[in-house]
Amino acid sequence: MTAAVAGIAGYFVLGILGFLVPWARALSAGALLVGTVAYALWFPGFPTGYLGLGDWAIPWRGDILAASFWGLSLFLHLILLVHQEGGRPQHYYALVTLLFGTVLSTVLSQDIFNLYVSLELTSLIAFLLVGIEGKPAQVWASLKYLILTSCGMIFYLLGVGFVYAETETLSLVRLSSSAPAMAPGLRLGIALLLTGAAAKGGVFFYALWLPVAHGYAPAPVSALLSSLVVKMGIVALARISAAFGIGEVLVALGLVTGFLGILHMFWEKKLKVFLAYSTMSQLGYVLLGFGLGAWEGAVAYAVAHGLFKALLFLAAGEAEREAKSHLIPRHVGRISGETRALLGLGALAIMGVPPLAGYAAKGLITAVAPPWVKGVLIALSLGTAASFARLLVLPLGEGPKFEIRHPALWVLVAAVAGTGIWGLVSFPGIALPRALLTALLVSAAGITMGWPFSRLSARLPRWHLEEALLALLFASLALLLFQFLSG
Amino acid sequence: MTASLSAATLGIVLVALGFGALLLRRSLIWKLLGLNVASGGAILFLVALSHRPGARPPLMGYPEGVPSADPLPQALVLTAIVIHFATLALSLAYAISLTERLHTQETGRLEEAAEEEMER
Repeated sequence: MTAAVAGIAGYFVLGILGFLVPWARALSAGALLVGTVAYALWFPGFPTGYLGLGDWAIPWRGDILAASFWGLSLFLHLILLVHQEGGRPQHYYALVTLLFGTVLSTVLSQDIFNLYVSLELTSLIAFLLVGIEGKPAQVWASLKYLILTSCGMIFYLLGVGFVYAETETLSLVRLSSSAPAMAPGLRLGIALLLTGAAAKGGVFFYALWLPVAHGYAPAPVSALLSSLVVKMGIVALARISAAFGIGEVLVALGLVTGFLGILHMFWEKKLKVFLAYSTMSQLGYVLLGFGLGAWEGAVAYAVAHGLFKALLFLAAGEAEREAKSHLIPRHVGRISGETRALLGLGALAIMGVPPLAGYAAKGLITAVAPPWVKGVLIALSLGTAASFARLLVLPLGEGPKFEIRHPALWVLVAAVAGTGIWGLVSFPGIALPRALLTALLVSAAGITMGWPFSRLSARLPRWHLEEALLALLFASLALLLFQFLSG
Repeated sequence: MTASLSAATLGIVLVALGFGALLLRRSLIWKLLGLNVASGGAILFLVALSHRPGARPPLMGYPEGVPSADPLPQALVLTAIVIHFATLALSLAYAISLTERLHTQETGRLEEAAEEEMER
């Protein structure tokens, strides 16, 4: 555990130093090196430990979830350092280093209040990164993100109070081993904690800041937010629900966010806002996995989504620069062959076409799902394929010809394919011809369904600040009712 | 747990008032003030939990033997205050930047301006 703490400390120290010197990018690379060494040292033992003294110590645990997120973070850090997309100010690199440091510490935490501090820290750095270019739309998106997550975190703080008043402990390890009786105060506290984590974690109705924050931010920041930062809220949801043994809440949240995200994707014209709604929908798979107790599958999906959504957002950034527009229809025929290929590959991965990473991760969740959830998962896959059919139209148009200019993004493609193939080889159960054929058929059917859908028009709520806030308040009441009515 | 009930209730009332301002006021500054009142309420709620009747403060130098207030919520509150301060400072800086560029503090108009900027 000392190695992990040293790695995180390295990230924080080098990140803060980055604000003081003009070569923050080099320091960020140094932090990556320290983090990688620390990872190699702690990972094999899956250690558990305490930070601090005696009764006040904060429990940390290096489990499969923490290990996978460390791997994903370190890899994405490398990609962001190598991927050149125009000049960035040096404090951008300092902030990114700090953000990776807080992610590394959040996934190890096993304490409700330590999770609160980590979540707030990731949010604060994310607010700064979303508005880093200073364009009014980005500053507004960041402010909306700030107001709505702060409301969520106020709920979380009240939840900390209620849980502590009932159980006199904040350690998730102690809570899960003592299995406290579900008094009304404790149920209320848990509902408040889950509301806060869901508001931070991009669950539909709880986190309607996400479409603008992820959609308007600079492309590498969007990639970072979708791949890692929203997952921290999901990690908190998974840890808290596991400690109290209430997985069914996550299944409910997963269903809601999975389908409503897709609904908004059909009629969204802005490319990156479209990808942001897709993040909300994809989190549904992760929540379903955690809720059903399929931890390996859920973690695998979180990592796979982290890889291909980073690819999609970085490619979308290139597309927006090349077409000088944020709107999908204006991208046709204006973006380079490389960008079209990258967007197409990302879309295939997110649909779950084998052998890319999405397929293996979906397979791991489906393998443990009860029959009705299998049907739901197929419906989700159909919807995802239908909505992403719009991105497959892009390669059809004419445009500048193919030329590799962004090798870092091709490394990301290799990782998406590589992890998928690794999954197929190490879990033969998901590599059966029947399963592979089903996945291909579902994707093909979804893409065909996408054409008629693109002809329809609909008026969906725009989720302005007040509407988003009301949604959060009503959704927190719904969660409260769910807590009191279930068992 | 023998928390101070009146203070805990007041904390929750403050949270509700803060949320009310966030929902009903159109001006960004009012909304940010509402947010700050709500976070103050959450902090008061946590402090109220550590209260015990007739207790001494959880500090060294007070006579031993008398029961002390629970120090843990107070430690949590210190952290939360720092976080809320940082969030408020950042949000006000952003509010200044928006007012200077778009010449309005009404959130509906800010939202429209942002959407217009991205529809290109």
